[in-house]
Amino acid sequence: MVEVGGLLVLGISLVVLLPFLLLGLIGMLWTVAYPLMLCWAVLFSGKKLDQQIVNTASREASLRESLGRDPLTTIDGGYRTDITSCGVVWSGVVFGPSHWHLLIGWINNLTGGSVDIFQKVISAGRAEAMQRLREKALAEGYEDVINVRIDTSDMTPQGARKSIKAVEVFAYGTGVKYT
Amino acid sequence: MEQTVQGILVVNTETIPGMMITETLGVVSGSTVRAKHLGKDIFAGLKNIVGGELSQYTELLQESREEAVGRMVADAMSRGANAVVNVRFATSAITAGAAELFAYGTAVKAE
Repeated sequence: MVEVGGLLVLGISLVVLLPFLLLGLIGMLWTVAYPLMLCWAVLFSGKKLDQQIVNTASREASLRESLGRDPLTTIDGGYRTDITSCGVVWSGVVFGPSHWHLLIGWINNLTGGSVDIFQKVISAGRAEAMQRLREKALAEGYEDVINVRIDTSDMTPQGARKSIKAVEVFAYGTGVKYT
Repeated sequence: MEQTVQGILVVNTETIPGMMITETLGVVSGSTVRAKHLGKDIFAGLKNIVGGELSQYTELLQESREEAVGRMVADAMSRGANAVVNVRFATSAITAGAAELFAYGTAVKAE
Protein backbone atom coordinates (compact mmCIF):
# COMPACT_ATOMS: atom_id res chain seq x y z
CA MET A 1 0.00 0.00 0.00
CA VAL A 2 2.78 2.37 0.95
CA GLU A 3 4.58 1.73 -2.35
CA VAL A 4 1.44 2.37 -4.42
CA GLY A 5 0.84 5.60 -2.48
CA GLY A 6 4.41 6.66 -3.09
CA LEU A 7 4.13 5.97 -6.80
CA LEU A 8 0.89 7.93 -6.99
CA VAL A 9 2.47 10.95 -5.31
CA LEU A 10 5.45 10.70 -7.66
CA GLY A 11 3.14 10.47 -10.69
CA ILE A 12 1.06 13.46 -9.67
CA SER A 13 4.09 15.58 -8.88
CA LEU A 14 5.59 14.68 -12.29
CA VAL A 15 2.40 15.74 -14.08
CA VAL A 16 2.29 18.99 -12.10
CA LEU A 17 5.98 19.76 -12.66
CA LEU A 18 6.12 18.75 -16.32
CA PRO A 19 5.11 22.15 -17.74
CA PHE A 20 7.74 23.86 -15.56
CA LEU A 21 10.39 21.34 -16.63
CA LEU A 22 9.50 21.95 -20.27
CA LEU A 23 9.65 25.71 -19.79
CA GLY A 24 13.06 25.34 -18.13
CA LEU A 25 14.29 23.21 -21.01
CA ILE A 26 13.05 25.74 -23.56
CA GLY A 27 14.74 28.52 -21.59
CA MET A 28 18.03 26.62 -21.64
CA LEU A 29 17.76 25.96 -25.36
CA TRP A 30 16.96 29.63 -25.91
CA THR A 31 20.06 30.83 -24.05
CA VAL A 32 22.20 28.52 -26.19
CA ALA A 33 20.49 29.29 -29.48
CA TYR A 34 20.18 33.05 -29.07
CA PRO A 35 23.87 34.05 -29.40
CA LEU A 36 24.29 31.75 -32.40
CA MET A 37 21.24 33.18 -34.14
CA LEU A 38 22.38 36.72 -33.34
CA CYS A 39 25.79 36.04 -34.90
CA TRP A 40 24.06 34.68 -37.98
CA ALA A 41 21.84 37.80 -38.03
CA VAL A 42 24.86 40.13 -37.81
CA LEU A 43 26.55 38.38 -40.71
CA PHE A 44 23.67 37.68 -43.06
CA SER A 45 20.48 39.62 -42.23
CA GLY A 46 21.46 42.66 -44.30
CA LYS A 47 22.11 40.44 -47.30
CA LYS A 48 18.86 38.56 -46.75
CA LEU A 49 16.91 41.82 -46.67
CA ASP A 50 18.55 43.02 -49.90
CA GLN A 51 17.75 39.70 -51.57
CA GLN A 52 14.14 39.99 -50.46
CA ILE A 53 13.89 43.51 -51.93
CA VAL A 54 15.47 42.45 -55.23
CA ASN A 55 13.24 39.36 -55.45
CA THR A 56 10.02 41.33 -54.89
CA ALA A 57 11.07 44.06 -57.32
CA SER A 58 11.90 41.56 -60.08
CA ARG A 59 8.59 39.72 -59.67
CA GLU A 60 6.77 43.05 -59.81
CA ALA A 61 8.69 44.16 -62.89
CA SER A 62 8.07 40.92 -64.80
CA LEU A 63 4.35 40.99 -63.93
CA ARG A 64 4.06 44.60 -65.01
CA GLU A 65 5.88 43.82 -68.24
CA SER A 66 3.60 40.89 -69.08
CA LEU A 67 0.43 42.90 -68.36
CA GLY A 68 1.61 46.24 -69.71
CA ARG A 69 0.19 48.04 -66.64
CA ASP A 70 -0.07 47.88 -62.88
CA PRO A 71 -3.31 46.10 -61.87
CA LEU A 72 -3.65 48.01 -58.59
CA THR A 73 -5.48 51.33 -58.31
CA THR A 74 -6.74 53.21 -55.27
CA ILE A 75 -9.64 54.87 -57.06
CA ASP A 76 -13.18 53.70 -56.56
CA GLY A 77 -13.48 52.12 -59.98
CA GLY A 78 -15.77 54.67 -61.60
CA TYR A 79 -13.79 55.03 -64.81
CA ARG A 80 -14.82 51.79 -66.50
CA THR A 81 -18.38 50.61 -66.91
CA ASP A 82 -17.79 47.18 -68.47
CA ILE A 83 -17.13 45.36 -65.19
CA THR A 84 -18.76 41.95 -65.19
CA SER A 85 -17.70 40.45 -61.89
CA CYS A 86 -16.12 41.61 -58.67
CA GLY A 87 -15.17 40.45 -55.20
CA VAL A 88 -12.87 41.31 -52.34
CA VAL A 89 -9.24 40.12 -52.39
CA TRP A 90 -6.66 40.56 -49.69
CA SER A 91 -3.15 39.57 -48.73
CA GLY A 92 -1.03 40.16 -45.68
CA VAL A 93 2.59 39.75 -44.69
CA VAL A 94 4.04 39.74 -41.19
CA PHE A 95 7.49 41.23 -41.46
CA GLY A 96 10.06 42.06 -38.82
CA PRO A 97 13.52 43.55 -38.55
CA SER A 98 16.28 41.27 -37.25
CA HIS A 99 17.70 41.93 -33.81
CA TRP A 100 20.83 43.28 -35.46
CA HIS A 101 18.69 45.80 -37.35
CA LEU A 102 16.96 46.69 -34.08
CA LEU A 103 20.36 47.45 -32.59
CA ILE A 104 21.34 49.62 -35.57
CA GLY A 105 17.98 51.37 -35.31
CA TRP A 106 18.48 51.98 -31.61
CA ILE A 107 21.88 53.60 -32.23
CA ASN A 108 20.37 55.61 -35.06
CA ASN A 109 17.64 56.73 -32.67
CA LEU A 110 20.19 58.17 -30.25
CA THR A 111 21.59 60.53 -32.88
CA GLY A 112 18.16 61.38 -34.27
CA GLY A 113 17.22 62.03 -37.86
CA SER A 114 15.72 59.47 -40.17
CA VAL A 115 16.00 55.84 -39.07
CA ASP A 116 16.64 54.45 -42.54
CA ILE A 117 17.00 50.82 -41.54
CA PHE A 118 13.40 50.52 -40.26
CA GLN A 119 12.10 52.37 -43.29
CA LYS A 120 13.89 49.82 -45.48
CA VAL A 121 12.52 46.83 -43.57
CA ILE A 122 8.92 48.04 -43.53
CA SER A 123 8.91 49.11 -47.17
CA ALA A 124 10.28 45.68 -48.14
CA GLY A 125 7.33 44.10 -46.30
CA ARG A 126 4.89 46.47 -47.94
CA ALA A 127 6.22 45.80 -51.44
CA GLU A 128 5.89 42.07 -50.78
CA ALA A 129 2.29 42.42 -49.56
CA MET A 130 1.33 44.45 -52.64
CA GLN A 131 3.02 41.99 -54.97
CA ARG A 132 1.14 39.11 -53.33
CA LEU A 133 -2.11 41.01 -53.75
CA ARG A 134 -1.39 41.35 -57.48
CA GLU A 135 -0.51 37.67 -57.80
CA LYS A 136 -3.51 36.53 -55.77
CA ALA A 137 -5.94 38.67 -57.75
CA LEU A 138 -4.60 37.35 -61.06
CA ALA A 139 -4.70 33.77 -59.73
CA GLU A 140 -8.37 34.21 -58.79
CA GLY A 141 -9.10 35.35 -62.34
CA TYR A 142 -9.44 39.11 -61.83
CA GLU A 143 -7.87 41.60 -64.21
CA ASP A 144 -7.61 44.64 -61.96
CA VAL A 145 -7.85 45.49 -58.29
CA ILE A 146 -9.66 48.74 -57.52
CA ASN A 147 -10.06 50.72 -54.31
CA VAL A 148 -6.87 49.28 -52.80
CA ARG A 149 -6.22 50.10 -49.14
CA ILE A 150 -3.02 49.34 -47.26
CA ASP A 151 -3.00 48.96 -43.49
CA THR A 152 -0.01 48.52 -41.25
CA SER A 153 -0.58 47.18 -37.77
CA ASP A 154 1.84 46.47 -34.99
CA MET A 155 2.08 42.82 -33.96
CA THR A 156 3.94 43.86 -30.79
CA PRO A 157 1.54 44.81 -28.01
CA GLN A 158 2.32 48.01 -26.11
CA GLY A 159 4.35 47.40 -22.98
CA ALA A 160 5.47 43.90 -23.96
CA ARG A 161 9.20 44.45 -24.01
CA LYS A 162 10.41 40.92 -24.61
CA SER A 163 8.30 39.75 -27.48
CA ILE A 164 8.28 39.51 -31.22
CA LYS A 165 9.05 42.74 -33.04
CA ALA A 166 7.07 42.70 -36.24
CA VAL A 167 4.49 44.62 -38.22
CA GLU A 168 1.73 43.23 -40.33
CA VAL A 169 1.22 44.87 -43.69
CA PHE A 170 -2.20 44.15 -45.03
CA ALA A 171 -3.38 45.14 -48.50
CA TYR A 172 -6.93 44.65 -49.74
CA GLY A 173 -9.13 45.76 -52.58
CA THR A 174 -11.92 44.75 -54.91
CA GLY A 175 -10.90 42.51 -57.76
CA VAL A 176 -12.74 43.22 -61.01
CA LYS A 177 -13.11 41.44 -64.31
CA TYR A 178 -13.98 43.17 -67.58
CA THR A 179 -15.96 41.86 -70.52
CA MET B 1 -21.34 37.86 -60.55
CA GLU B 2 -19.84 34.49 -59.77
CA GLN B 3 -17.08 35.54 -57.38
CA THR B 4 -18.80 35.33 -54.03
CA VAL B 5 -18.28 34.10 -50.46
CA GLN B 6 -21.03 31.58 -49.59
CA GLY B 7 -23.39 33.11 -52.12
CA ILE B 8 -22.90 36.67 -50.86
CA LEU B 9 -20.99 39.24 -52.87
CA VAL B 10 -18.33 41.02 -50.81
CA VAL B 11 -16.64 44.18 -52.12
CA ASN B 12 -14.79 47.06 -50.48
CA THR B 13 -16.12 49.72 -52.85
CA GLU B 14 -19.13 51.86 -51.97
CA THR B 15 -21.14 50.63 -54.92
CA ILE B 16 -21.25 47.35 -56.81
CA PRO B 17 -20.22 47.78 -60.44
CA GLY B 18 -23.11 46.86 -62.70
CA MET B 19 -25.67 46.53 -59.91
CA MET B 20 -28.13 48.84 -58.16
CA ILE B 21 -28.41 48.86 -54.37
CA THR B 22 -32.10 48.82 -53.50
CA GLU B 23 -32.01 48.52 -49.72
CA THR B 24 -29.45 48.81 -46.90
CA LEU B 25 -29.76 46.44 -43.98
CA GLY B 26 -27.32 47.95 -41.49
CA VAL B 27 -23.75 47.32 -40.44
CA VAL B 28 -22.66 43.70 -40.23
CA SER B 29 -19.48 42.58 -38.56
CA GLY B 30 -17.47 39.54 -37.67
CA SER B 31 -14.49 39.15 -35.41
CA THR B 32 -12.19 36.43 -34.18
CA VAL B 33 -9.23 36.00 -31.87
CA ARG B 34 -6.83 33.25 -32.81
CA ALA B 35 -3.41 32.08 -31.74
CA LYS B 36 -0.84 29.52 -32.81
CA HIS B 37 0.44 26.82 -30.47
CA LEU B 38 3.54 27.34 -28.35
CA GLY B 39 5.88 25.46 -30.69
CA LYS B 40 5.13 27.79 -33.59
CA ASP B 41 5.44 30.82 -31.30
CA ILE B 42 8.91 29.71 -30.23
CA PHE B 43 9.92 29.05 -33.81
CA ALA B 44 8.65 32.48 -34.85
CA GLY B 45 10.62 34.00 -31.97
CA LEU B 46 13.80 32.38 -33.23
CA LYS B 47 13.08 33.47 -36.79
CA ASN B 48 12.50 37.02 -35.58
CA ILE B 49 16.15 37.23 -34.46
CA VAL B 50 17.33 36.98 -38.06
CA GLY B 51 14.48 39.12 -39.38
CA GLY B 52 12.37 38.85 -42.47
CA GLU B 53 8.95 37.34 -42.92
CA LEU B 54 7.36 35.34 -40.10
CA SER B 55 5.32 32.91 -42.19
CA GLN B 56 3.64 31.33 -39.13
CA TYR B 57 2.01 34.64 -38.29
CA THR B 58 1.23 35.47 -41.92
CA GLU B 59 -0.66 32.18 -42.04
CA LEU B 60 -2.33 32.87 -38.67
CA LEU B 61 -3.67 36.21 -39.83
CA GLN B 62 -4.78 34.76 -43.17
CA GLU B 63 -6.83 32.07 -41.40
CA SER B 64 -8.27 34.50 -38.87
CA ARG B 65 -9.28 36.92 -41.57
CA GLU B 66 -11.11 34.20 -43.46
CA GLU B 67 -12.93 33.27 -40.26
CA ALA B 68 -13.87 36.91 -39.53
CA VAL B 69 -15.16 37.41 -43.08
CA GLY B 70 -17.11 34.14 -42.80
CA ARG B 71 -18.81 35.38 -39.62
CA MET B 72 -19.57 38.73 -41.21
CA VAL B 73 -21.13 36.96 -44.20
CA ALA B 74 -23.20 34.75 -41.87
CA ASP B 75 -24.47 37.90 -40.16
CA ALA B 76 -25.38 39.39 -43.55
CA MET B 77 -27.16 36.18 -44.57
CA SER B 78 -29.26 36.19 -41.40
CA ARG B 79 -30.46 39.67 -42.35
CA GLY B 80 -31.48 38.52 -45.80
CA ALA B 81 -28.85 40.50 -47.70
CA ASN B 82 -27.24 39.39 -50.95
CA ALA B 83 -24.13 41.59 -50.81
CA VAL B 84 -21.82 43.35 -48.36
CA VAL B 85 -20.32 46.63 -49.55
CA ASN B 86 -17.61 48.96 -48.22
CA VAL B 87 -15.87 46.26 -46.20
CA ARG B 88 -13.13 47.42 -43.82
CA PHE B 89 -10.65 45.39 -41.79
CA ALA B 90 -9.13 46.20 -38.42
CA THR B 91 -6.44 44.34 -36.48
CA SER B 92 -5.32 44.56 -32.89
CA ALA B 93 -2.68 42.55 -31.07
CA ILE B 94 -3.88 41.49 -27.63
CA THR B 95 -0.74 39.69 -26.50
CA ALA B 96 2.26 38.56 -28.52
CA GLY B 97 1.07 35.76 -30.76
CA ALA B 98 -2.67 36.37 -30.50
CA ALA B 99 -4.42 38.74 -32.84
CA GLU B 100 -7.95 40.05 -33.00
CA LEU B 101 -9.26 40.44 -36.50
CA PHE B 102 -12.35 42.45 -37.17
CA ALA B 103 -14.18 42.81 -40.47
CA TYR B 104 -17.18 45.05 -40.98
CA GLY B 105 -19.29 46.36 -43.80
CA THR B 106 -22.78 47.35 -44.85
CA ALA B 107 -25.24 44.61 -45.75
CA VAL B 108 -27.32 45.53 -48.77
CA LYS B 109 -29.84 44.12 -51.17
CA ALA B 110 -28.71 44.67 -54.76
CA GLU B 111 -30.16 43.86 -58.15
